[in-house]
Amino acid sequence: MIQVEHLSKSFRDYRKGWVPAVVDVSFDCQPGAIFGLLGPNGAGKTTTLRILSTVLRPTGGRAVIAGHDVVTNPGAVRANIGYMSASTGIYDRMTAWELVEYFGRLYGMKPEPLRERMESIFDWLQMNDFRGVLCAKMSTGMRQKVSIARTIVHDPPVLIFDEPTSGLDVLVARIVLRKIAELRDQGKTIIFSTHSMHEVEKLCSRVAIIHKGRVQAEGEPLELLDRFGQPDLEELFFHLVALADGEKENLEIVGPPRGLA
Amino acid sequence: MGLTIRWWNVWTIFRREARDQLRDRRTLFMVLILPLLLYPILGFSILQLSATFDQKARIVVVVGSENLPALPSLLNQARDGFEPGLFSRPKDAELFKVEVKTPGVDWQKAGAVRQGIRGGLAKAVIIVPPDVKQQIESVGSARLPILYDSTDESSQITYLRVRELIERWRDEIVKVRLVVDKKPPGYTEPVEVTGEDVAPESEIGGSIWGRIFPFLLVIMALTGAFYPAVDVCAGEKERGTMETLLISPASRSEIVLGKFFTVMVASMATALLNLVSMGLTGLQIAGQIANSGTKAGGKMATLIAPPSPSSYFWMMLLLIPLSAFFAALCVALATMARSMKEGQYYMTPLYLVSLPLILVTLAPEITLTLFYSLVPITGVSLLLKALILGDYENARRFFLPVLLPTLVYAWLALRWAVDLFNREDVVFREAEAFDLKSWLISLVRDKDPTPSAGSAVFAFALIISLSWYVMQIPGMAESPIRGMVVSHLACILAPPLILAFLLTSNPIATLRLRMPTLTDLGLAAGLALSLNPLVRELGYQVEKLFPASSALQAGLADLAKQIPSLGVGLVIFALMPAITEELAFRGYILSGLRRSHSEATSILLSALLFGILHVLISLFQQLFGAVLLGLVLAVLALRTGSLWPGVLFHFLNNALGLLTPEAARHPSLSPLSIWLFRDSADGLYQPGVLIASALISGVLLVILWRGPNREP
Repeated sequence: MIQVEHLSKSFRDYRKGWVPAVVDVSFDCQPGAIFGLLGPNGAGKTTTLRILSTVLRPTGGRAVIAGHDVVTNPGAVRANIGYMSASTGIYDRMTAWELVEYFGRLYGMKPEPLRERMESIFDWLQMNDFRGVLCAKMSTGMRQKVSIARTIVHDPPVLIFDEPTSGLDVLVARIVLRKIAELRDQGKTIIFSTHSMHEVEKLCSRVAIIHKGRVQAEGEPLELLDRFGQPDLEELFFHLVALADGEKENLEIVGPPRGLA
Repeated sequence: MGLTIRWWNVWTIFRREARDQLRDRRTLFMVLILPLLLYPILGFSILQLSATFDQKARIVVVVGSENLPALPSLLNQARDGFEPGLFSRPKDAELFKVEVKTPGVDWQKAGAVRQGIRGGLAKAVIIVPPDVKQQIESVGSARLPILYDSTDESSQITYLRVRELIERWRDEIVKVRLVVDKKPPGYTEPVEVTGEDVAPESEIGGSIWGRIFPFLLVIMALTGAFYPAVDVCAGEKERGTMETLLISPASRSEIVLGKFFTVMVASMATALLNLVSMGLTGLQIAGQIANSGTKAGGKMATLIAPPSPSSYFWMMLLLIPLSAFFAALCVALATMARSMKEGQYYMTPLYLVSLPLILVTLAPEITLTLFYSLVPITGVSLLLKALILGDYENARRFFLPVLLPTLVYAWLALRWAVDLFNREDVVFREAEAFDLKSWLISLVRDKDPTPSAGSAVFAFALIISLSWYVMQIPGMAESPIRGMVVSHLACILAPPLILAFLLTSNPIATLRLRMPTLTDLGLAAGLALSLNPLVRELGYQVEKLFPASSALQAGLADLAKQIPSLGVGLVIFALMPAITEELAFRGYILSGLRRSHSEATSILLSALLFGILHVLISLFQQLFGAVLLGLVLAVLALRTGSLWPGVLFHFLNNALGLLTPEAARHPSLSPLSIWLFRDSADGLYQPGVLIASALISGVLLVILWRGPNREP
């Protein structure tokens, strides 16, 4: 469902020249499974996922989602994904119902199917108590539910969650994680980025550990522990970070990326 | 606008944004509440002001009124005012209050009168000497002194009015005498002078509104666009919903259009509500003052009455392109801002640029010219003024010259907004400290093969400002030919060359210095020849519609005389501009624009800049020709991928401009020229030639446009 091949992204900084944010990242994701991107802040997780959501253009490599290339056919990609992150806010001056309906319309849904779909989503997320409340007046938990409803309103086959639990209290985080697990059980292809090992252990069938823009290791969590001889994910993570920081030559500033020279 | 626009998405976004604005207290207040409250409050102050006008009945002291004859009467029966019959409008008698005094020292000495006037006891004093009644009855002549203070303006006005009254009274006396002596009225009055104000009352009102309305309309349209634009663009970023919207299936163009229409509607609504509220308040005040019945009130009423319904219609019509322009501009500016606060910072420069452009309309002597019609904002303001003043002839003549550029500017601003929305570094801009040195180093270090759009515009600004400085060098004005050579080499040629080598990694590609194919050169030459009759005709028609000043024409004739020979003329007026202007405009500037703009935008923008160059350094009348040639030249450059066909075209075009009148006048060619030219002195072609020229050029342009795109 998601194929990422040698994806790279560099940003231009007038002080440092071209700064790589993502370097040669490749992975695949399958339906009915959650693929975890595990890495510290600034590792390149958000940049990778923004490329997959077509908001940023890669400077190298390619990514194909549900059969559509993110560069050549971004519209079709956007129609097939649901994307939620800490930076996808909701409109304060709209009610929960209006907001979800608005995005449903932008996805080209007809009024009647849209209404039915929304009724079932609002039931599933238990949002009926506050469907007429302005988002500005909602608690964090309610806002997260609205965000999830917005993400899945068009029933996309692919879902991308970029640190969906960051900044949430444990109760709200628990609800969000449970809903993501339920979506997996519905057969969605899900990418899930986090810096919490705990969440990866609970949810992900495969994981890529990403640090300084590169994938340091990728595989099933247990298989990775075996491969690197580490007792748990946390130890594995620090082990890989230490390895990467030792290999300084990988991290030096590179020239202008392909396609821009 | 990129791919196809799905208008359903634009409509969905527009509806959401509009509802969002209606739920925002600040916007509601600015757009709806403020105009409804503001003008009634202003109305009260105006009414108070006019009330003080009404109370000013002027006191005239009459000393010795018992000396006046009974008939004809100067004073009314109660002896507290003048006889109403002496006024052209009897109601005006209320403007004066008469106080009758018995003769004494108090009101007969100049010093005492001055004190009385300064003290507000009277505005003028009429002294009626004891012999008046007797003189009148015995057909003699009586003296009737009026004392007033010429340093006190209202005393002087009162004096003039009283004098007028007494003259009418005198006429009454004369009438009685004529009846007695059986003479016709013309006997004593061979000439009667009357002054009549020919302006209809609506136009007297128009003169005030003609200045205020365009000003207010433009300011309100700008204000009405600015706040919503900051909210829907910068506010979207600040509230963290920008990314949510960007990952929806709506394309960037659709998002910008949806926001643009929201801002445009807000701008129009603000301007209209202000006008309606102001008009209604004006209407009420005018009614109230007119009903108060005084002459001053009547005058005030005509001044305050709002313009006619037809004026309103025109204002609404012009509001559409104006609001579109402001909306696109504000959306683009607000897109650059990271936060609402940063967005507000852009307001000051925007108003600083706009205000002088609007204030021009307040000056009574400035009317529409072709130049003003092309200046954004000013053109619309002046056209509004002309329409409100009822100057329909000028309004008709300039309607298109104002409307079209405004629409073009709006379109360009909208394209700019879309381009900005497509740029990652703008949409995801992060705060960073700016450091000039590292920035300059990065410019030279991180070169791209072709320049950025920003550096293309910079190159243009550099060309213009250098030209200005070169013109200030002493000696340049005296020798136009030397001035032309220096300005072409130093101002037009040097900047793009230096910038291309300094700031791009591939100056050859930037300046399009590739060898052209023979076909391309042939096409360029063919186009230059086939377009020439049309170019000449256009120049002639523009000159006829908007003649250049005679001083300019004399200067040009002077310049022509200084050309030593035809060969030198060709080098200076054809070869040199062909090379310098092509390198600058179809080389550096077009390459820069093309990097971040669509083909159509780049062609249009480069042609517009080319036109502006000609307005600023040469004749204003060249604008139209330069823009049209700029379009053809840009298409040539983009399609052939080489600068040289454009240089050939440019050279041939200028050379033909120089040679055609000569050739047409040449005796050896006279049989041919009769057949070709309808006016051989000016080198104007026969209509048939023009039609053929248009057809051939059209075919060649289609071949060029449809041909292979050799742009690397």
